[in-house]
Parts: sequence; structure tokens; C-alpha cells
Amino acid sequence: MSEPASANAPKPSSSVKLVLLGEAAVGKSSLVLRFVNDDFQENKEPTIGAAFLTQKCSLPTRTIKFEIWDTAGQERFASLAPMYYRNAQAALVVYDVTKPSSLTKAKHWVAELQRQASPGIVIALVGNKLDLTNDGGDVSEAAVAAQGESEEAQAGEEGANEEDDVQDAVSGDARKVSTREATGYAEEEGLLFFETSAKTGTNVVDVFTAIANAIPESSLKTGRGTGAGTGQTSLGRSAEESRVNLDDRNAATAKEGCAC
Amino acid sequence: METLSDTTWDVIIDGTGASQSLLALALSRSGKKVLHIDRNQYYGGSDAAFSLDEAQEWAERVNKGEHRSTFKDASIFKHDASSSEETGISPKLASSRAYTLSLSPYFLYARSQLMSALVSSKVFRQLEFMAVGSWWIYAPEQSDSENGEHGAEKVLYRVPGNREDVFAATHISMKSKRTLMRLLRHIIKPNEDDASNEDDDMSMPLKDYLASKFSVPEELHNPLLSLSLSQLSQQDTTASYALPRIQRHLSSIGHLGPGFGAVFAKYGGGAEILQAACRASAVGGGVYALDTQIQDCLWRKDAEYSEHRLLLKLANEGSVQAKCMFSSNVDTVPKEGSTPLVEVARLISVVSATFPSLFPVTVEGAPVPATAVLMFPGDTLDSPHSPPVYLQVHSSDTGECPHQQSVIYCSVALPGPEGQALLESSVDRLIRAEGLPATVLWSLRYTHSGRLSNGEPRRLIPDDAVPDCYVFPPSSLDLAFEDDTLELVKEAWKKVVGDEVDDADFMMFDDRDGTSDQ
Repeated sequence: MSEPASANAPKPSSSVKLVLLGEAAVGKSSLVLRFVNDDFQENKEPTIGAAFLTQKCSLPTRTIKFEIWDTAGQERFASLAPMYYRNAQAALVVYDVTKPSSLTKAKHWVAELQRQASPGIVIALVGNKLDLTNDGGDVSEAAVAAQGESEEAQAGEEGANEEDDVQDAVSGDARKVSTREATGYAEEEGLLFFETSAKTGTNVVDVFTAIANAIPESSLKTGRGTGAGTGQTSLGRSAEESRVNLDDRNAATAKEGCAC
Repeated sequence: METLSDTTWDVIIDGTGASQSLLALALSRSGKKVLHIDRNQYYGGSDAAFSLDEAQEWAERVNKGEHRSTFKDASIFKHDASSSEETGISPKLASSRAYTLSLSPYFLYARSQLMSALVSSKVFRQLEFMAVGSWWIYAPEQSDSENGEHGAEKVLYRVPGNREDVFAATHISMKSKRTLMRLLRHIIKPNEDDASNEDDDMSMPLKDYLASKFSVPEELHNPLLSLSLSQLSQQDTTASYALPRIQRHLSSIGHLGPGFGAVFAKYGGGAEILQAACRASAVGGGVYALDTQIQDCLWRKDAEYSEHRLLLKLANEGSVQAKCMFSSNVDTVPKEGSTPLVEVARLISVVSATFPSLFPVTVEGAPVPATAVLMFPGDTLDSPHSPPVYLQVHSSDTGECPHQQSVIYCSVALPGPEGQALLESSVDRLIRAEGLPATVLWSLRYTHSGRLSNGEPRRLIPDDAVPDCYVFPPSSLDLAFEDDTLELVKEAWKKVVGDEVDDADFMMFDDRDGTSDQ
């Protein structure tokens, strides 16, 4: 926006801190695994504590390096999340389209982010497990997946709906949260909205690309959405110029560190 | 769902200050079961960083004196917004969360052990560091010798940090430059000079040492004192204290890149580092519970409890069993013989100006500094016997405030109204010196008690009453991170992992899968 980029110059690169939030077993880690490694694991173990991964996302005018904090949905004491969404520029709040209670939990997270996180944080609401619905494509595969899911549900708190889930899955549609309901909510709150399948990969990259595009330029330069951004730092220079790069030197420093 | 009591913990860490959080990091790959709790609803204890609203709540709690605290006498000032509308020039205070203000703002020297630990533990990947740039001395009396037109405003002098700086400095005479060069050489390579009676001289006040040993003219005493970051006056600072610290400063410059010797972690300095450490611990399986207080601690000697002798009663979560516990100093009364605690006055001011002249890029290719350190000697504040006032000016590049604003952290080792008056007068003088139409939009005053480093290493304190419980000694009030903290953390780590683990493994971790740049 400010100056035309020269054709040969490398694209500017910015880091974006992104936090994943949502109820246990909605597929947060699976979304990240699909995005980072283009991979999927059935019956993945629950995340303990948290996980941290990075992945680059190339846009026409710049490269975004996502620093992804994947939190544990089962985290009981609600003490970790504040540490993760502190200074986060983006949040991905995930629910399971086959489980209405997970949308309720997602709404709680959105409210907490709006109350506590950095002003200007980009929030995407994501309904995962699209493969278990009729919109998800291959029906027979979805049914098999649902069997796996039901085992997961047993470990969780809601045993009651389990039978129904399997029934629905066999009939090809386990959807319990309509796209219209979720879209309506997302529009009301000003959230990006996607329905995804970490299993098939549907829409996964699109979510991250949409987030990358939605991060305001000013927030990329300063690393924080302060709202009234002019796109410049206080000193009229870009924040990249003030960042101390430890990567070039960390080998040397580490060596000195253990020599003493 | 699991409760805390279902697990037998190897370690309970009480408090999320810097020492405890670094211990959690050190144990993050040990396979030990770590429960990390804090009585507060926020991370960091006395190292925390707050939004404006959080700072307000904190100040109210401090003044209520709900529990023993290292802080007292907190008060908040808010600029009257209606008057700034009249003038129409000042940027206004932004929303509460646009600010991150540290209760204990400190930076890291490039050669700090903590810096090495953050790199070797790979935690640096989750942090952004900004350069601490120039040191400045407030010296209004020198403006008489300046004959330039802007002489009247020129009251801040950049402290030379290396040989090139000394040569380039325009406000130091040739003769002074020569003595200064000789001194700097001596400090960096003390062995080259014959200094047989060195030890006797080192107990002298710094100013006497500089004058008698190196004939350093008086105009350079304050600049050299500022490089040592001594919180005591010229007369009360010994050479043995100041010289190693000046050496630390000089030898750090260029170590992590050209033109700077210290760094500050973006978004709240120490508060950001300790949260990154806790996150790494959580990734390794550490369990976190804020707002959780230990009510009672019992050590059981019966044989059946030999594996987990501690039984701790928590306020909300029932009882938990553990092998050992590490806590902070908040509830412990300092013992006989330990370093007495001192009180410093602190002031955090949010100012509607950017002070661009304080952040020069002095070397080609150097990063733009986000922090500058200013020292106001007592006599320049009409208080000749008071210790120096230090200001850390943070630009919005630190991520602590919106554009067009700055955060100024001030401290002086003189508590109460007297100290606060010096801090305020320093901020006023800085604003006047820069000749900017600046307003203090918001400020927080408080008294912080802790210890001033005295060069003696601290030790982990075994709890008198309960075996297997250890207490981290009070943290330092220094402007720079005190390196022996790492030694304390290592001592604690060793008690948990035992002798079979090699000392060299302390904080040495590989990148976890998918987290490196490649």
C-alpha cells in the first residue's frame, strides 16, 4: 500500500501468532496437522497441555509465517488459554458440526477473546468434521469415520447422543449444527466463518489463507492490532527493522552458553 | 474429569515469577510431573505485565493489603481527556488492552546466561527481542559550554559505549577522551595492566577510584556510573561493584548484532519471557492452575509416604501430594544475615510523544532501538544527596503502547513521596528537554521492595519448617536481569532431576517437531 514493491525483491515476511481454541475432540490438532503436514491421523491422542507449530502461508504480496499455539481442549483450569491468546493476532475457534454443545463452548471462547485478547484480533469460527455430513462428500467413508468418533465420544462427557450419532452417520448425515445457524452467529460477531474437514482437507488451507488476508497491514508491522494504526511505527520505520535477529547467531551463543 | 489430587506430583511450583517459570521450563522435558500454580489470576507475580484495567485492579488490591506483597502505595493518575480535546493536538489514551505495562521492567544483556538459556532451550523462537539502544545522561550544567543555537535544549548526552563512540563524541574534551580510552581498555582487559594493589583500591567509591587511578575527569563519572546501572549515588557505589558491571556493558555491545548490547522482549519484557517459559512447560505436559493458593503444607514422615511426603491443602482444589515444592519469597520473612530488602519508588508513565532523538541508529546495519536508558544524577534534580533516577523509555515498537505514544519506566532507590517527586520531575525534564508538545496520559506510582544486587550470589533457601520445600530468594530490583537467577534455577532443577542427569543438559533442548524454520 505504501510503496510499490520492486518485481525482484523478496516478498516481505511477517510472523502471525495464532491460537486454536475449542472444546475437546473437535479436531483442533487435526486441523493444524492437515495445514502443517497435510496429514491426518485417525483416533489421535488428546493434546496434553499444548502444542506449538509453525507454517508459512504465501500470499501474492507477502509471506505470513503462522506461529500456531494449539491448546488442549480438556484443559481443566482455564489457566493456559490466557497465556496463549496474549498478543495473538489471530484465533481459530473450532467446534464440531455434529455436536451442538461444542458450538456453545465456541461462543464462550469468542466472548472471552473479545473481552480479553488484543484489540483487533482476527477471529475465525470453524465448524470441523464436515466429512461426517452430507456436504462432506464420500458417505461410506464418513460412516466409518463416525464409528471412530463414537469411541472418542465415550471417553468424553456425552454418552447419551452417541447412539444417535452412529445412526445418523450410517444414514450419511451426522450434522447437528446447521450452516445457517453458525453463519448467522459469525456475521453478528464479525467473525470469519468456515466449515472444514481435517480428515479430507476440505477448506483447511482456505481458513488459514483467509486469516492471513484479514490481518491488517498495521498489525503486521507493529505485531499488534492497536486499532488506530497508521501502518508506520512511532519512528516512521517498519518494525522488522527493529527486531533483533537471533537465528543467525544462535549456534554461536548456545555454544558459549554451555562452555561456561 | 481428572482432579489435581488424582496425580502424585513430582514437583509443585508455587508462583509464576521469573525464577519459578524458568524452573518450569528447565523441567519441561524431564518427564517429571509438574504442577505449577499461582495464587493470582494472572501470570508473573511481581514480574507481571498489565493492561490499564488490570493495572487499576492491581493497584486497588495492593492498597487493600489483602496479603503480604512486595508492593505498596499504588496510585493511578489519568489525564483529564476533556482538556486535551481543547488543545486538540495530543493523541488520547487508547483502549486498556492497547497497553502492556511491566511492574518490574528489566532488559537482558547480550551475554546474559538467560539469553543463552532461551536460545539453547529454543524458547527464543516464541519471543521477539528489540534492541536497547543508547544510554543518556541528563546534564543541564554542560549546556553552557555548548555554543550551538540549540544549546539551551541540549541537556541529554549520549554515553559512549565503545571506542568509536568515544572518538565521535562531541561533548568530551580530547584529554578526557584519552583517559576514558585508557580506562575502557583497562576494564575490558584488566590483566594487561599491572594491578597488584588492585584489591585495596576496589573498595573505594567509584568516583575516587576513577579520579585517583585513572585521572578520569569528573564530567565522566556520571556517564560511567550509568553504565554500571548502580542505583546508589557516586559516593555509595564502590569500584568493586561498578567495574565488573561496566565491563558487562562494554563486552555485550555487538555480541548479538551491531550497535547494541542489551535486548528487551517485546510485549512486556520479563513478563513475556516467563509466559513463554510456562507455555513451553505446558507443551511438555506441565499442569497450570491460576487463582490457586496453598493453605497448608504438611510433611509426612511415615514410611508409607516415602515417595511423596508433602501434602498440600489448596484453597479450591482439595489436597495434593508431591515430592517437593519450590515457592517464592512473598510469604517468608527474610532471615538473619540475608541481604536486607530495600524499597524503590517506581513510576510508569504513558506519554503522548515518541522521543525520536533518543533512539538513534549509531552503527550501520544496527536494528532500530526500541528502548533507551536515561540517568538523571541527583544533583541535576536539586537533590545532590539522592541516588540517581533511571528512566527506561520504550517506544511503541516494544508493543507496549499505541503509535505516537511511549511508555517511560522510572525508578529511584528512594521510597515514598520524596522518591516519587524525583521521578516526576525527571519525566517533566525529559519532556521539556525534547521540546515536544507531550502530555502524560496515564501513570502508575508504587513502592517496590526487593534487593539491590551486591555482587554476592544468592542461594536457594530451604524452608525451615517443612523439609523438601525450597524458597527462591527475593528478586532483584535491577534494570538488567540478574544472572545468578539462572544459577538458582539450576540448583532447584538439580534437586528435582537428581545426580544422574548431567549438568550440561540444563536448558539444552532440541526443537520440537514442526517448530523450526525449515
